[in-house]
Amino acid sequence: MLWDRAPDADNYAGRKRAIVLKTIVFFCFSVVFFKLFYLMVIQHKGLSEKAEQQYSRAVTLMPQRGTIYDRSMRELAVNIETNSLYAVPVKMENINDVSSRLSPVVKVSANILSSRLADGKGRKSSFMWIARKMDEDMSRGAEKVKDKLKNTVGVVTETKRYYPKGQLAAHILGYTDIDNKGLEGIERRYDKHMKGQVKKVQLGRDAHGLNLANNTEEGIPGNSLLLTIDEGLQHIVERELAGAVETWHAEGAVGIMMDPMTGEIFALANMPTYDLNVPADADVSERRNRAITDSYEPGSTFKVISASGVIEEGLVTPESKFDCSKGYINVGGGKPIRDVHKNGVLTFKECVQKSSNVCLIQAGTILGEKKFYEYVKGFGFGDKTGIDLIGEVGGLLKSPGAWSGRTLATMSIGQEIGVTPLQILRAYSAIANGGRLMKPYIVSEVISPDRRIIEKSSPKVERQVVSEETAKTMRDILKTVVTEGGTAQRASIKGNAVAGKTGTAQMIDPKTGRYSSSDYVSSFVGFVPADNPRISLIIVVFKPRGASYGGTVAAPVFRNIIEQTLTYLDVPMERDENNITLVSR
Amino acid sequence: MRKTHSILIPVGILIFVGLLMVFSSTGLISKAKYGNGYHYLWMHLFTVVIGLAAMLFLAQMDYRKLNNRWVVIILLALSLGLLILVFTGIGVKANGARRWIRLWPSTFQPSEFVKFTTVLALAYYIEKYASKMKSLGYGILIPFAVVGIFQLIIYKQPDFGAIISLGIITIILLFIGGIRLKWNYIAGFLLLGAAGFYKFVWLEPYRKDRVMFFWNPWKDALGKGFHLVQSLLAFGRGGITGVGPGASKQKLFYLPELHTDFIFSLIGEEWGLIGVSCILGLFIWFFIKGTKIAEQTEDPFGYYLAMGLTLMIVTQALINFAVTIGLMPTKGLPLPFISYGGSALLVNMMAVGVLISIQRSVNSKGWTGERGRYIQ
Repeated sequence: MLWDRAPDADNYAGRKRAIVLKTIVFFCFSVVFFKLFYLMVIQHKGLSEKAEQQYSRAVTLMPQRGTIYDRSMRELAVNIETNSLYAVPVKMENINDVSSRLSPVVKVSANILSSRLADGKGRKSSFMWIARKMDEDMSRGAEKVKDKLKNTVGVVTETKRYYPKGQLAAHILGYTDIDNKGLEGIERRYDKHMKGQVKKVQLGRDAHGLNLANNTEEGIPGNSLLLTIDEGLQHIVERELAGAVETWHAEGAVGIMMDPMTGEIFALANMPTYDLNVPADADVSERRNRAITDSYEPGSTFKVISASGVIEEGLVTPESKFDCSKGYINVGGGKPIRDVHKNGVLTFKECVQKSSNVCLIQAGTILGEKKFYEYVKGFGFGDKTGIDLIGEVGGLLKSPGAWSGRTLATMSIGQEIGVTPLQILRAYSAIANGGRLMKPYIVSEVISPDRRIIEKSSPKVERQVVSEETAKTMRDILKTVVTEGGTAQRASIKGNAVAGKTGTAQMIDPKTGRYSSSDYVSSFVGFVPADNPRISLIIVVFKPRGASYGGTVAAPVFRNIIEQTLTYLDVPMERDENNITLVSR
Repeated sequence: MRKTHSILIPVGILIFVGLLMVFSSTGLISKAKYGNGYHYLWMHLFTVVIGLAAMLFLAQMDYRKLNNRWVVIILLALSLGLLILVFTGIGVKANGARRWIRLWPSTFQPSEFVKFTTVLALAYYIEKYASKMKSLGYGILIPFAVVGIFQLIIYKQPDFGAIISLGIITIILLFIGGIRLKWNYIAGFLLLGAAGFYKFVWLEPYRKDRVMFFWNPWKDALGKGFHLVQSLLAFGRGGITGVGPGASKQKLFYLPELHTDFIFSLIGEEWGLIGVSCILGLFIWFFIKGTKIAEQTEDPFGYYLAMGLTLMIVTQALINFAVTIGLMPTKGLPLPFISYGGSALLVNMMAVGVLISIQRSVNSKGWTGERGRYIQ
């Protein structure tokens, strides 16, 4: 009995101390209560909001980009799943260790990695890409290293654009950047159709970063494109162009094939070309789509413009006689313009067949500046064709006010004007189809992910340039070019009549500003079958070596392509070798 | 309920709340670890049953049987032995600490038992040497030497919470036991405390971090301040009425040690200020009941034992509250009666059993009405 036994000062102290102790305990309880009140009432709103933020994170769901198909639904551009490696710098404790483990996997030096990661950690960054869209090797390494570096690095799946055919149709398709944004060609032009919609969602998550909702969602996928391009024809054109470039040690070549009736592009190729899957490795010149982005002086292929003009205006008939016996013609000062060979008196038909400069200059003069300019514009020169690709130019066409005394004459034979291969092809297609200038196009259908057709292109007639009659007359004239006595016998094929025209133009030497004596543009443009054209095709070879004439360089390419194309398309022969019509129409 | 057992009301409610909260906090972990949501709940319930048995046994026993040199010596030796067993083959390691020994079907944490033994031994000691408590040797050096041995062994485990808790109980019991409060004693004590803090906290990076980041956990909310920040967010979310039972989001692995050290935060989130105030109230109720039992007894041993056991539980509760709301650095101390963790629950229920026994001895001698005699 403590208190009874020792009722002294100590006892009193003991009682006092018990009271002190109780007071302290109650004081502690009140402190706890006030802190709780502060947290739960006064700070309630702020803390709740802070807490809310960590339960969910904004997740950007990347959409599947649309597929690009050729006209027969063959895949030209698709998406494949790849792995990307990311880091969470803020959670890293030993950056050097992480860097040295990652370095061999992503093939980046450990120093660079560690300085990047240290920087990220300094910014308290919780997400940083280490390597995106890795190949299989890196991906396997990343999976392994991820398990060892839990929480600080991770792997996510991203879709990557993949071009299963590599180089095929490179200049048409274009490519995308690492974020699947279209940078060139169709990929860029139709980016907004194909990219789909990024979906931003707030996903609930726990502290381990696991999503609470089982999320298999993606963004809204993009639309797919159906092209007018035919994979097979594109392949034929590319192969033959590559062959020609090799044969003639040429700087480059362009080939465009189109349906002259509708303006649909069947094939469009440039040499040199590049692999779409590694666009960064390609040179700028390889990525250049000269079919539409570069203008050149067309030379003789341009002669159909003045020829069509004088016939349409009734100033000349195919049988009108022209005196070309001098072999040259004086034009508004300066040097006279010569023919390659001296010709005698020629019918107008023969003038075109033999590509007589002297004759066509006379025709141009008969037509006169104003009318000639109208036809040049009428055939679509000086304006973009409006094809649905990136970077098209309209060419260079001076208006008559800026013409010199020679311009009418030189332009009649395809000089002092800049055109694109596509513009020339379109003009010839107008002659092929009865005088209608078509708008060329490459995308025929935009297809939604659920396979509905959202947009459908239809052939568009820009204008009637010349009458059906004139067009027919011109076709007949152009047929003779590939026959005996014409400049392009090498373009003739078995079984079907070819109509076309050669072109050989000196290039302007950028150093001197004068025509180069060694650099030529050799071309051939035509259509087949001549009387019922299914295909028009232009071949342009830049700077061939060893030969320059369109008839020698470009015409054989044309023939090779056309022969294979007709077989490919199963176009019946209209005649056999003995001129017996097998199929009459 | 008879007056004898009225301390059981707050204790019973707290244990019941514990069952609810253990279920609420472990459903997810249990499912992730064991495939069913009830594993921890069953284990907890099992401990409650064992604890009830132990409590009943001690309650019907005359506590004065404990006021025996041999009982004290045996219990001290047992505690020492159990503490050492932790480092042997049957010791269980978890989270980098060896605090448990294997004991089918679960584990046992000797440091909890040591708290009980320490209170008992101090009560015996203070009663026995009451007249010598003013001397430096009997009043301070001897008791601290004995407790210090325990603390040293526990430090090796390590279990910092238990060390602090033991220290506080010892100080409190010696304080009310009448040791002399001299300035040089206090100064020496503070100096010793500072040295200990430097040696065992400042030089241990993870403890230093805990101390540093408890001042401003937001400075590194994703790193070292993470646990405390998550706890504060849980209270903040709770507001006045709470988000509702089972509706906690903080328990989705944000709150660390959810079913043990931070179960109070979960109560805060799910039951709000109302809920945590009730918990506070229950502990105050328990404190009043416990000290009343102490004050009613005329047996000094009973007095010190009742005060010691009551304060052992209440100080642990207060430390746990303080830790979860950021008033103290984080350290592993469970919330008595509520937290999951068999040993602590068992020992605390044993303490309640002893308290009832003391109350019973008061009643049986008809002293109920006479408590005014010594507290006036």
